[in-house]
Amino acid sequence: MTFLEKQTDPTAPLHWRGNMQADYLYPNGVAGDKFFKHIMQNDSFLATKCDECGKVLFPPRLYCEDCFIEIPEENWMEVPAEGTVRLFTVAKLNAHGKKLPEPKIMAMIDIDKTDGALLGVIKSNDSERDFTGARVRANLRPKDAREGTLKDIVNWNLI
Amino acid sequence: MIKKDVAVIGAGMTLFRRRLKETGKELSFLASKMAMEDAGIQKKDLDMVVMGTAPDAFDGIHMKGENLLDGAAGAGKPYVRVFNGGGTGVFAPIAGWWHVASGVADVCLVVAEEKMGSCYPHPQTAFRHIWDPILDRPLNPNLVWLFAMEMNRYMTVHNIKKEDIARVAVKNKRNAVGHPCAQLADPNITVDDVLNSEMMAWPVQRLDISPPSDGAAALIFVSEDVARQYTDNPIWIDGVGWNIDSTMWTNRDLYFPRYVAKAARMAYKMAGISNPRKDIDFAEPYDPFDYKELHHMEGLLLCDKGEAPILTREGVTQRDGDLPICPSGGLLGVGNPIAATMGQKVCELYWQLAGKAGKRQIPGDPRIGVGQAWGDIMQMATVMVMRR
Ligand SMILES: [Zn+2]
Repeated sequence: MTFLEKQTDPTAPLHWRGNMQADYLYPNGVAGDKFFKHIMQNDSFLATKCDECGKVLFPPRLYCEDCFIEIPEENWMEVPAEGTVRLFTVAKLNAHGKKLPEPKIMAMIDIDKTDGALLGVIKSNDSERDFTGARVRANLRPKDAREGTLKDIVNWNLI
Repeated sequence: MIKKDVAVIGAGMTLFRRRLKETGKELSFLASKMAMEDAGIQKKDLDMVVMGTAPDAFDGIHMKGENLLDGAAGAGKPYVRVFNGGGTGVFAPIAGWWHVASGVADVCLVVAEEKMGSCYPHPQTAFRHIWDPILDRPLNPNLVWLFAMEMNRYMTVHNIKKEDIARVAVKNKRNAVGHPCAQLADPNITVDDVLNSEMMAWPVQRLDISPPSDGAAALIFVSEDVARQYTDNPIWIDGVGWNIDSTMWTNRDLYFPRYVAKAARMAYKMAGISNPRKDIDFAEPYDPFDYKELHHMEGLLLCDKGEAPILTREGVTQRDGDLPICPSGGLLGVGNPIAATMGQKVCELYWQLAGKAGKRQIPGDPRIGVGQAWGDIMQMATVMVMRR
Protein backbone atom coordinates (compact mmCIF):
# COMPACT_ATOMS: atom_id res chain seq x y z
CA MET A 1 0.00 0.00 0.00
CA THR A 2 1.32 3.40 -0.94
CA PHE A 3 0.51 4.99 2.39
CA LEU A 4 3.12 2.84 4.09
CA GLU A 5 5.83 4.51 2.07
CA LYS A 6 7.72 7.06 4.15
CA GLN A 7 8.33 10.42 2.49
CA THR A 8 10.50 13.13 3.94
CA ASP A 9 10.50 15.51 0.94
CA PRO A 10 7.04 17.09 0.52
CA THR A 11 7.93 18.22 -3.00
CA ALA A 12 8.79 14.74 -4.19
CA PRO A 13 5.23 13.68 -5.22
CA LEU A 14 3.77 15.51 -8.25
CA HIS A 15 1.82 18.42 -6.80
CA TRP A 16 0.26 21.80 -7.45
CA ARG A 17 1.35 24.74 -5.35
CA GLY A 18 -1.36 27.12 -4.11
CA ASN A 19 -1.88 29.67 -1.38
CA MET A 20 -4.78 31.15 0.51
CA GLN A 21 -5.05 34.89 0.11
CA ALA A 22 -7.40 36.79 2.35
CA ASP A 23 -7.10 40.07 4.19
CA TYR A 24 -9.49 41.22 6.85
CA LEU A 25 -10.92 44.43 8.20
CA TYR A 26 -12.08 43.57 11.69
CA PRO A 27 -14.60 46.15 12.91
CA ASN A 28 -14.36 47.07 16.60
CA GLY A 29 -18.13 46.72 16.86
CA VAL A 30 -20.63 49.13 18.39
CA ALA A 31 -19.36 48.86 21.97
CA GLY A 32 -15.74 48.51 20.84
CA ASP A 33 -16.01 51.65 18.73
CA LYS A 34 -17.03 53.70 21.73
CA PHE A 35 -14.35 52.10 23.92
CA PHE A 36 -11.47 52.76 21.54
CA LYS A 37 -12.66 56.25 20.53
CA HIS A 38 -12.59 57.13 24.22
CA ILE A 39 -9.00 55.86 24.59
CA MET A 40 -7.94 57.99 21.61
CA GLN A 41 -8.97 61.12 23.53
CA ASN A 42 -8.44 60.15 27.18
CA ASP A 43 -6.04 58.42 29.55
CA SER A 44 -8.83 56.36 31.08
CA PHE A 45 -11.12 53.50 30.03
CA LEU A 46 -14.88 52.97 29.66
CA ALA A 47 -16.93 50.14 31.13
CA THR A 48 -20.64 49.22 31.13
CA LYS A 49 -22.77 48.13 34.08
CA CYS A 50 -25.41 45.41 33.95
CA ASP A 51 -28.39 46.40 36.11
CA GLU A 52 -29.56 42.80 36.43
CA CYS A 53 -26.45 41.18 37.98
CA GLY A 54 -24.67 44.39 38.96
CA LYS A 55 -21.45 43.43 37.19
CA VAL A 56 -19.33 46.16 35.64
CA LEU A 57 -18.43 44.70 32.25
CA PHE A 58 -14.92 45.35 30.98
CA PRO A 59 -14.10 45.70 28.15
CA PRO A 60 -17.51 47.38 27.82
CA ARG A 61 -20.17 45.34 26.07
CA LEU A 62 -23.51 46.07 24.41
CA TYR A 63 -25.02 43.21 26.38
CA CYS A 64 -24.44 41.12 29.51
CA GLU A 65 -23.64 37.61 28.37
CA ASP A 66 -25.02 36.08 31.58
CA CYS A 67 -28.30 37.99 31.93
CA PHE A 68 -28.59 38.43 28.14
CA ILE A 69 -30.00 41.94 28.36
CA GLU A 70 -28.98 45.05 26.47
CA ILE A 71 -26.98 47.64 28.43
CA PRO A 72 -28.66 51.05 28.33
CA GLU A 73 -26.77 54.14 27.21
CA GLU A 74 -26.73 55.66 30.73
CA ASN A 75 -24.86 52.64 32.12
CA TRP A 76 -21.57 53.57 30.43
CA MET A 77 -18.98 54.79 32.94
CA GLU A 78 -15.40 55.98 33.05
CA VAL A 79 -12.85 53.84 34.96
CA PRO A 80 -9.12 54.39 35.57
CA ALA A 81 -6.57 52.82 33.22
CA GLU A 82 -5.12 50.95 36.18
CA GLY A 83 -5.37 47.50 37.61
CA THR A 84 -3.90 44.55 39.44
CA VAL A 85 -2.06 41.60 37.90
CA ARG A 86 -4.13 38.46 38.43
CA LEU A 87 -1.86 36.00 36.60
CA PHE A 88 1.16 36.15 34.34
CA THR A 89 3.85 34.28 32.44
CA VAL A 90 7.37 35.21 31.34
CA ALA A 91 7.91 34.12 27.73
CA LYS A 92 11.48 33.27 26.70
CA LEU A 93 10.87 31.64 23.30
CA ASN A 94 8.64 32.77 20.44
CA ALA A 95 6.06 30.57 18.68
CA HIS A 96 8.78 29.14 16.42
CA GLY A 97 10.98 28.11 19.35
CA LYS A 98 13.50 30.96 18.85
CA LYS A 99 14.87 32.86 21.83
CA LEU A 100 13.30 36.31 22.33
CA PRO A 101 15.80 39.19 22.57
CA GLU A 102 14.24 40.05 25.93
CA PRO A 103 11.81 38.04 28.07
CA LYS A 104 8.19 39.16 27.53
CA ILE A 105 6.01 39.46 30.65
CA MET A 106 2.44 38.73 29.58
CA ALA A 107 -0.24 39.33 32.21
CA MET A 108 -3.97 39.26 32.82
CA ILE A 109 -4.83 42.54 34.52
CA ASP A 110 -7.98 43.04 36.63
CA ILE A 111 -9.11 46.57 35.79
CA ASP A 112 -9.98 48.77 38.78
CA LYS A 113 -13.67 49.38 39.55
CA THR A 114 -14.75 46.67 37.09
CA ASP A 115 -15.41 42.93 37.03
CA GLY A 116 -13.32 42.49 33.90
CA ALA A 117 -9.71 42.08 32.85
CA LEU A 118 -7.42 42.76 29.92
CA LEU A 119 -4.37 41.04 28.47
CA GLY A 120 -1.25 43.22 28.63
CA VAL A 121 2.53 43.28 28.57
CA ILE A 122 4.29 44.39 31.78
CA LYS A 123 7.27 46.72 31.49
CA SER A 124 9.97 45.63 33.95
CA ASN A 125 13.71 44.89 33.95
CA ASP A 126 13.24 42.23 36.59
CA SER A 127 11.63 39.29 34.81
CA GLU A 128 12.44 36.92 37.69
CA ARG A 129 10.04 38.45 40.25
CA ASP A 130 6.50 37.36 41.07
CA PHE A 131 4.10 39.84 39.48
CA THR A 132 0.96 38.38 41.06
CA GLY A 133 -0.96 41.20 42.74
CA ALA A 134 1.30 43.91 41.28
CA ARG A 135 -0.35 47.28 40.69
CA VAL A 136 -0.02 48.54 37.10
CA ARG A 137 -1.01 51.53 35.00
CA ALA A 138 -1.52 51.57 31.21
CA ASN A 139 1.29 53.24 29.27
CA LEU A 140 -0.59 54.76 26.34
CA ARG A 141 0.86 56.08 23.09
CA PRO A 142 1.09 59.86 22.76
CA LYS A 143 -2.42 61.13 22.01
CA ASP A 144 -1.64 62.21 18.47
CA ALA A 145 -0.32 58.72 17.65
CA ARG A 146 -3.36 56.77 18.90
CA GLU A 147 -5.27 54.79 16.27
CA GLY A 148 -8.19 53.29 18.14
CA THR A 149 -6.83 49.76 18.53
CA LEU A 150 -5.43 47.69 21.39
CA LYS A 151 -1.96 48.75 20.25
CA ASP A 152 -2.64 52.21 21.71
CA ILE A 153 -1.74 50.55 25.02
CA VAL A 154 2.03 50.17 24.54
CA ASN A 155 2.49 48.21 27.79
CA TRP A 156 1.79 48.47 31.54
CA ASN A 157 4.02 50.23 34.06
CA LEU A 158 4.40 49.04 37.65
CA ILE A 159 3.13 51.65 40.14
CA MET B 1 -37.70 7.23 16.66
CA ILE B 2 -38.75 10.89 17.00
CA LYS B 3 -39.60 11.32 20.66
CA LYS B 4 -41.14 14.78 20.68
CA ASP B 5 -42.96 17.02 18.27
CA VAL B 6 -41.15 20.34 17.87
CA ALA B 7 -42.73 23.79 17.65
CA VAL B 8 -41.39 27.23 16.75
CA ILE B 9 -42.54 29.93 19.16
CA GLY B 10 -40.38 32.92 18.25
CA ALA B 11 -38.14 34.42 15.57
CA GLY B 12 -35.80 37.37 15.12
CA MET B 13 -33.78 38.88 12.29
CA THR B 14 -31.44 41.88 12.00
CA LEU B 15 -31.08 44.28 9.11
CA PHE B 16 -29.13 42.75 6.24
CA ARG B 17 -26.43 45.16 5.08
CA ARG B 18 -22.91 45.06 3.69
CA ARG B 19 -20.20 46.00 6.19
CA LEU B 20 -22.39 46.61 9.23
CA LYS B 21 -20.33 48.09 12.02
CA GLU B 22 -21.54 45.52 14.56
CA THR B 23 -19.30 42.58 15.41
CA GLY B 24 -20.58 39.08 14.70
CA LYS B 25 -21.27 38.69 18.42
CA GLU B 26 -23.32 41.88 18.48
CA LEU B 27 -25.33 40.81 15.41
CA SER B 28 -25.98 37.44 17.06
CA PHE B 29 -27.13 39.17 20.23
CA LEU B 30 -29.58 41.43 18.39
CA ALA B 31 -31.22 38.52 16.54
CA SER B 32 -31.22 36.20 19.57
CA LYS B 33 -32.74 38.86 21.79
CA MET B 34 -35.53 39.54 19.27
CA ALA B 35 -36.42 35.85 19.05
CA MET B 36 -36.32 35.43 22.83
CA GLU B 37 -38.55 38.47 23.38
CA ASP B 38 -40.94 37.25 20.67
CA ALA B 39 -41.19 33.89 22.48
CA GLY B 40 -41.21 35.27 26.03
CA ILE B 41 -38.04 33.32 26.86
CA GLN B 42 -35.02 34.30 28.97
CA LYS B 43 -31.52 32.88 28.86
CA LYS B 44 -32.16 30.76 31.94
CA ASP B 45 -35.01 29.00 30.11
CA LEU B 46 -32.73 27.80 27.29
CA ASP B 47 -31.59 24.18 27.54
CA MET B 48 -29.33 24.27 24.50
CA VAL B 49 -28.09 26.57 21.74
CA VAL B 50 -27.24 25.84 18.11
CA MET B 51 -25.18 28.26 15.99
CA GLY B 52 -25.06 28.12 12.21
CA THR B 53 -22.35 30.13 10.51
CA ALA B 54 -20.38 29.67 7.28
CA PRO B 55 -16.63 29.40 6.65
CA ASP B 56 -14.20 30.81 9.21
CA ALA B 57 -12.42 32.41 6.26
CA PHE B 58 -15.27 34.93 5.83
CA ASP B 59 -14.73 36.51 9.24
CA GLY B 60 -11.05 35.66 9.48
CA ILE B 61 -11.66 34.06 12.88
CA HIS B 62 -10.87 30.39 13.28
CA MET B 63 -13.21 28.66 15.73
CA LYS B 64 -15.74 31.30 14.77
CA GLY B 65 -18.59 29.38 16.43
CA GLU B 66 -16.78 29.68 19.76
CA ASN B 67 -16.08 33.36 19.16
CA LEU B 68 -19.78 34.06 18.59
CA LEU B 69 -21.18 32.03 21.46
CA ASP B 70 -21.46 34.69 24.16
CA GLY B 71 -23.55 36.81 21.78
CA ALA B 72 -25.82 33.83 21.13
CA ALA B 73 -26.73 33.11 24.78
CA GLY B 74 -24.44 30.08 24.51
CA ALA B 75 -21.95 30.83 27.32
CA GLY B 76 -22.29 28.15 29.96
CA LYS B 77 -24.78 26.11 27.90
CA PRO B 78 -24.60 22.97 25.77
CA TYR B 79 -23.72 24.73 22.50
CA VAL B 80 -22.73 23.49 19.09
CA ARG B 81 -21.91 25.16 15.80
CA VAL B 82 -23.03 23.47 12.60
CA PHE B 83 -21.89 24.37 9.14
CA ASN B 84 -22.36 23.01 5.65
CA GLY B 85 -21.84 25.99 3.39
CA GLY B 86 -24.89 27.53 1.77
CA GLY B 87 -27.03 24.74 3.21
CA THR B 88 -26.44 26.07 6.74
CA GLY B 89 -29.42 28.45 6.77
CA VAL B 90 -31.78 25.48 6.91
CA PHE B 91 -29.35 22.98 8.45
CA ALA B 92 -28.94 25.03 11.66
CA PRO B 93 -32.70 24.80 12.35
CA ILE B 94 -32.61 21.10 11.44
CA ALA B 95 -29.96 20.67 14.15
CA GLY B 96 -32.13 22.68 16.55
CA TRP B 97 -35.04 20.41 15.68
CA TRP B 98 -33.12 17.22 16.52
CA HIS B 99 -31.95 18.67 19.84
CA VAL B 100 -35.64 18.88 20.81
CA ALA B 101 -37.10 15.96 18.80
CA SER B 102 -34.62 13.59 20.47
CA GLY B 103 -35.94 14.57 23.88
CA VAL B 104 -32.64 15.99 25.19
CA ALA B 105 -33.79 19.64 25.19
CA ASP B 106 -37.19 21.22 25.79
CA VAL B 107 -36.11 24.70 24.71
CA CYS B 108 -33.42 25.33 22.08
CA LEU B 109 -32.26 28.63 20.59
CA VAL B 110 -31.01 28.49 17.00
CA VAL B 111 -28.88 31.41 15.81
CA ALA B 112 -27.49 31.93 12.31
CA GLU B 113 -24.90 34.65 11.76
CA GLU B 114 -22.76 35.79 8.86
CA LYS B 115 -20.33 38.64 8.52
CA MET B 116 -18.98 38.70 5.00
CA GLY B 117 -17.93 42.35 4.99
CA SER B 118 -14.72 41.60 6.90
CA CYS B 119 -13.12 39.63 4.08
CA TYR B 120 -11.13 41.93 1.88
CA PRO B 121 -11.30 42.73 -1.02
CA HIS B 122 -14.27 40.37 -1.47
CA PRO B 123 -15.55 37.15 0.17
CA GLN B 124 -15.13 35.49 -3.24
CA THR B 125 -11.48 35.24 -2.20
CA ALA B 126 -12.55 32.70 0.42
CA PHE B 127 -14.87 30.88 -1.99
CA ARG B 128 -11.94 30.19 -4.30
CA HIS B 129 -10.74 27.54 -1.89
CA ILE B 130 -13.81 25.31 -1.96
CA TRP B 131 -12.64 23.83 -5.27
CA ASP B 132 -10.66 20.66 -5.75
CA PRO B 133 -7.04 21.84 -5.53
CA ILE B 134 -5.81 19.44 -8.23
CA LEU B 135 -8.59 19.33 -10.82
CA ASP B 136 -10.29 22.76 -10.63
CA ARG B 137 -8.18 25.41 -8.95
CA PRO B 138 -5.24 25.57 -11.34
CA LEU B 139 -7.68 27.14 -13.86
CA ASN B 140 -8.72 29.78 -11.28
CA PRO B 141 -12.50 29.46 -11.70
CA ASN B 142 -14.97 31.38 -9.51
CA LEU B 143 -18.50 30.61 -8.37
CA VAL B 144 -20.19 32.94 -10.85
CA TRP B 145 -18.57 31.05 -13.73
CA LEU B 146 -19.63 27.74 -12.23
CA PHE B 147 -23.24 28.79 -11.77
CA ALA B 148 -23.25 30.30 -15.25
CA MET B 149 -22.48 26.84 -16.61
CA GLU B 150 -25.25 25.26 -14.54
CA MET B 151 -27.72 27.97 -15.59
CA ASN B 152 -26.78 27.46 -19.21
CA ARG B 153 -27.34 23.70 -18.91
CA TYR B 154 -30.77 24.25 -17.32
CA MET B 155 -31.77 26.74 -20.05
CA THR B 156 -30.50 24.48 -22.83
CA VAL B 157 -32.22 21.27 -21.66
CA HIS B 158 -35.63 22.95 -21.27
CA ASN B 159 -35.25 25.63 -23.94
CA ILE B 160 -35.82 28.42 -21.40
CA LYS B 161 -35.62 32.10 -22.36
CA LYS B 162 -33.49 34.41 -20.23
CA GLU B 163 -36.43 36.75 -19.70
CA ASP B 164 -38.39 33.96 -18.01
CA ILE B 165 -35.54 33.61 -15.52
CA ALA B 166 -35.26 37.38 -15.03
CA ARG B 167 -38.90 37.42 -13.88
CA VAL B 168 -37.77 35.69 -10.67
CA ALA B 169 -35.36 38.52 -9.79
CA VAL B 170 -38.12 41.06 -10.48
CA LYS B 171 -40.67 39.19 -8.34
CA ASN B 172 -38.34 38.73 -5.39
CA LYS B 173 -36.95 42.26 -5.35
CA ARG B 174 -40.54 43.51 -5.41
CA ASN B 175 -41.64 41.02 -2.73
CA ALA B 176 -38.91 42.39 -0.45
CA VAL B 177 -40.58 45.80 -0.39
CA GLY B 178 -41.94 46.08 3.15
CA HIS B 179 -39.46 43.60 4.62
CA PRO B 180 -37.91 45.49 7.54
CA CYS B 181 -34.52 43.77 7.02
CA ALA B 182 -34.24 44.10 3.24
CA GLN B 183 -31.14 45.35 1.47
CA LEU B 184 -32.32 45.24 -2.15
CA ALA B 185 -36.05 45.81 -2.31
CA ASP B 186 -37.07 47.61 -5.48
CA PRO B 187 -40.74 48.29 -6.23
CA ASN B 188 -40.00 49.53 -9.75
CA ILE B 189 -37.56 46.97 -11.13
CA THR B 190 -38.45 45.47 -14.53
CA VAL B 191 -37.42 42.46 -16.59
CA ASP B 192 -35.59 44.85 -18.92
CA ASP B 193 -33.52 46.16 -16.01
CA VAL B 194 -32.29 42.63 -15.34
CA LEU B 195 -31.69 41.87 -19.03
CA ASN B 196 -29.76 45.12 -19.46
CA SER B 197 -27.56 44.70 -16.40
CA GLU B 198 -23.85 43.97 -16.74
CA MET B 199 -22.94 40.56 -18.17
CA MET B 200 -20.70 38.81 -15.65
CA ALA B 201 -20.33 35.34 -17.16
CA TRP B 202 -22.83 34.46 -19.84
CA PRO B 203 -25.74 33.96 -19.14
CA VAL B 204 -25.36 35.41 -15.62
CA GLN B 205 -25.87 39.16 -15.36
CA ARG B 206 -25.43 41.47 -12.37
CA LEU B 207 -29.13 41.53 -11.38
CA ASP B 208 -29.45 37.74 -11.61
CA ILE B 209 -27.40 37.54 -8.40
CA SER B 210 -27.98 38.32 -4.74
CA PRO B 211 -25.10 40.25 -3.15
CA PRO B 212 -23.00 39.32 -0.10
CA SER B 213 -24.32 40.76 3.12
CA ASP B 214 -23.90 40.84 6.90
CA GLY B 215 -26.66 39.84 9.31
CA ALA B 216 -28.14 37.37 11.76
CA ALA B 217 -31.40 35.52 12.42
CA ALA B 218 -32.68 33.42 15.32
CA LEU B 219 -35.46 30.97 16.20
CA ILE B 220 -36.78 29.41 19.41
CA PHE B 221 -37.71 25.72 19.22
CA VAL B 222 -39.63 23.98 22.01
CA SER B 223 -40.98 20.50 22.64
CA GLU B 224 -44.68 19.66 22.54
CA ASP B 225 -44.53 19.31 26.34
CA VAL B 226 -43.88 23.00 26.96
CA ALA B 227 -45.11 24.73 23.78
CA ARG B 228 -48.50 25.66 25.26
CA GLN B 229 -46.85 27.30 28.25
CA TYR B 230 -45.46 29.93 25.92
CA THR B 231 -48.05 30.35 23.18
CA ASP B 232 -51.52 29.47 21.96
CA ASN B 233 -50.26 29.56 18.42
CA PRO B 234 -47.27 27.20 18.01
CA ILE B 235 -46.04 26.46 14.49
CA TRP B 236 -44.94 22.84 14.09
CA ILE B 237 -41.94 21.40 12.31
CA ASP B 238 -43.40 18.52 10.35
CA GLY B 239 -40.44 17.25 8.38
CA VAL B 240 -36.72 17.75 7.81
CA GLY B 241 -34.41 16.41 5.12
CA TRP B 242 -30.88 16.84 3.93
CA ASN B 243 -28.71 15.31 1.25
CA ILE B 244 -25.35 15.90 -0.38
CA ASP B 245 -24.18 14.82 -3.83
CA SER B 246 -20.65 14.09 -5.05
CA THR B 247 -18.03 16.84 -5.16
CA MET B 248 -17.11 15.46 -8.61
CA TRP B 249 -19.55 17.92 -10.14
CA THR B 250 -18.16 17.45 -13.60
CA ASN B 251 -19.64 13.94 -13.63
CA ARG B 252 -23.22 14.97 -12.80
CA ASP B 253 -25.94 16.35 -15.07
CA LEU B 254 -26.54 19.79 -13.60
CA TYR B 255 -29.91 20.45 -15.24
CA PHE B 256 -31.74 18.90 -12.25
CA PRO B 257 -30.68 19.03 -8.56
CA ARG B 258 -31.33 15.39 -7.66
CA TYR B 259 -29.89 15.90 -4.17
CA VAL B 260 -32.61 18.52 -3.51
CA ALA B 261 -35.24 15.97 -4.56
CA LYS B 262 -33.75 13.39 -2.19
CA ALA B 263 -33.74 15.85 0.72
CA ALA B 264 -37.31 16.91 -0.13
CA ARG B 265 -38.56 13.31 -0.26
CA MET B 266 -37.00 12.67 3.15
CA ALA B 267 -38.78 15.71 4.62
CA TYR B 268 -42.11 15.00 2.87
CA LYS B 269 -42.11 11.39 4.07
CA MET B 270 -41.66 12.56 7.66
CA ALA B 271 -44.39 15.17 7.18
CA GLY B 272 -46.82 12.70 5.58
CA ILE B 273 -46.90 14.73 2.37
CA SER B 274 -47.67 12.48 -0.59
CA ASN B 275 -48.49 15.15 -3.15
CA PRO B 276 -46.28 18.20 -2.56
CA ARG B 277 -47.85 20.21 -5.39
CA LYS B 278 -51.24 19.92 -3.77
CA ASP B 279 -50.36 19.80 -0.08
CA ILE B 280 -47.84 22.66 0.13
CA ASP B 281 -49.28 26.17 0.23
CA PHE B 282 -46.09 28.22 -0.26
CA ALA B 283 -42.34 27.77 -0.47
CA GLU B 284 -39.05 29.52 0.24
CA PRO B 285 -36.58 27.77 -2.09
CA TYR B 286 -32.98 29.05 -1.98
CA ASP B 287 -32.54 31.86 -4.51
CA PRO B 288 -28.98 33.23 -4.51
CA PHE B 289 -29.40 33.40 -8.32
CA ASP B 290 -32.76 33.82 -10.04
CA TYR B 291 -32.49 30.53 -11.95
CA LYS B 292 -31.83 28.71 -8.64
CA GLU B 293 -35.38 29.46 -7.46
CA LEU B 294 -36.72 27.69 -10.56
CA HIS B 295 -34.21 24.86 -10.27
CA HIS B 296 -35.14 24.37 -6.62
CA MET B 297 -38.91 24.50 -7.20
CA GLU B 298 -38.36 21.53 -9.51
CA GLY B 299 -36.01 19.84 -7.02
CA LEU B 300 -38.60 20.32 -4.29
CA LEU B 301 -41.09 18.49 -6.56
CA LEU B 302 -43.43 21.49 -6.58
CA CYS B 303 -43.69 21.22 -10.37
CA ASP B 304 -42.41 19.14 -13.29
CA LYS B 305 -38.90 19.52 -14.64
CA GLY B 306 -38.79 22.62 -16.82
CA GLU B 307 -42.21 23.82 -15.63
CA ALA B 308 -41.06 26.38 -13.03
CA PRO B 309 -40.36 29.20 -15.55
CA ILE B 310 -43.82 28.69 -17.04
CA LEU B 311 -45.52 28.93 -13.62
CA THR B 312 -43.49 32.06 -12.94
CA ARG B 313 -44.50 33.65 -16.25
CA GLU B 314 -48.17 32.83 -15.53
CA GLY B 315 -48.03 34.54 -12.13
CA VAL B 316 -48.64 31.35 -10.13
CA THR B 317 -45.61 32.09 -7.92
CA GLN B 318 -46.59 35.65 -7.03
CA ARG B 319 -47.55 36.35 -3.42
CA ASP B 320 -51.24 36.27 -4.39
CA GLY B 321 -50.82 33.36 -6.81
CA ASP B 322 -51.74 29.71 -6.28
CA LEU B 323 -48.24 28.78 -5.14
CA PRO B 324 -46.42 31.80 -3.67
CA ILE B 325 -42.65 31.38 -3.94
CA CYS B 326 -40.21 33.45 -1.84
CA PRO B 327 -42.84 35.76 -0.33
CA SER B 328 -40.06 37.12 1.92
CA GLY B 329 -38.28 38.60 -1.09
CA GLY B 330 -35.69 35.85 -0.83
CA LEU B 331 -31.95 36.30 -1.09
CA LEU B 332 -32.39 38.33 -4.29
CA GLY B 333 -34.51 40.93 -2.52
CA VAL B 334 -33.51 40.81 1.13
CA GLY B 335 -29.80 39.91 0.86
CA ASN B 336 -27.46 36.96 1.09
CA PRO B 337 -25.51 36.63 4.34
CA ILE B 338 -25.06 32.86 3.75
CA ALA B 339 -26.12 31.14 7.01
CA ALA B 340 -28.27 34.04 8.18
CA THR B 341 -30.60 33.47 5.21
CA MET B 342 -32.36 31.28 7.76
CA GLY B 343 -34.28 34.55 8.16
CA GLN B 344 -35.91 34.18 4.72
CA LYS B 345 -35.95 30.40 4.47
CA VAL B 346 -37.22 29.35 7.91
CA CYS B 347 -38.15 32.43 9.99
CA GLU B 348 -40.38 33.47 7.07
CA LEU B 349 -42.24 30.14 7.23
CA TYR B 350 -42.92 30.86 10.89
CA TRP B 351 -44.02 34.44 10.27
CA GLN B 352 -46.30 33.47 7.38
CA LEU B 353 -47.87 30.51 9.20
CA ALA B 354 -48.34 32.50 12.41
CA GLY B 355 -49.91 35.38 10.49
CA LYS B 356 -47.07 37.70 11.55
CA ALA B 357 -45.64 38.54 8.10
CA GLY B 358 -47.12 42.04 8.01
CA LYS B 359 -47.04 43.57 4.53
CA ARG B 360 -45.64 40.32 3.18
CA GLN B 361 -48.51 38.19 4.47
CA ILE B 362 -49.77 35.64 1.93
CA PRO B 363 -53.55 35.87 1.50
CA GLY B 364 -55.73 32.82 2.12
CA ASP B 365 -54.47 31.56 5.46
CA PRO B 366 -51.56 29.30 4.42
CA ARG B 367 -51.28 26.06 6.40
CA ILE B 368 -48.12 24.28 5.17
CA GLY B 369 -44.84 25.81 3.95
CA VAL B 370 -41.48 24.43 2.86
CA GLY B 371 -38.10 26.15 3.13
CA GLN B 372 -34.85 25.04 1.52
CA ALA B 373 -31.20 26.00 1.36
CA TRP B 374 -28.44 24.90 -0.97
CA GLY B 375 -24.71 25.11 -1.16
CA ASP B 376 -21.17 23.90 -1.67
CA ILE B 377 -20.24 22.89 -5.23
CA MET B 378 -23.89 22.51 -6.30
CA GLN B 379 -24.30 19.51 -4.05
CA MET B 380 -25.89 20.26 -0.65
CA ALA B 381 -29.62 20.50 0.04
CA THR B 382 -31.41 21.12 3.33
CA VAL B 383 -35.22 21.14 3.62
CA MET B 384 -37.72 21.93 6.38
CA VAL B 385 -41.52 21.60 6.29
CA MET B 386 -43.59 23.63 8.75
CA ARG B 387 -47.31 23.53 9.54
CA ARG B 388 -49.74 25.74 11.39
ZN1 LIG C 1 -25.79 40.77 33.97
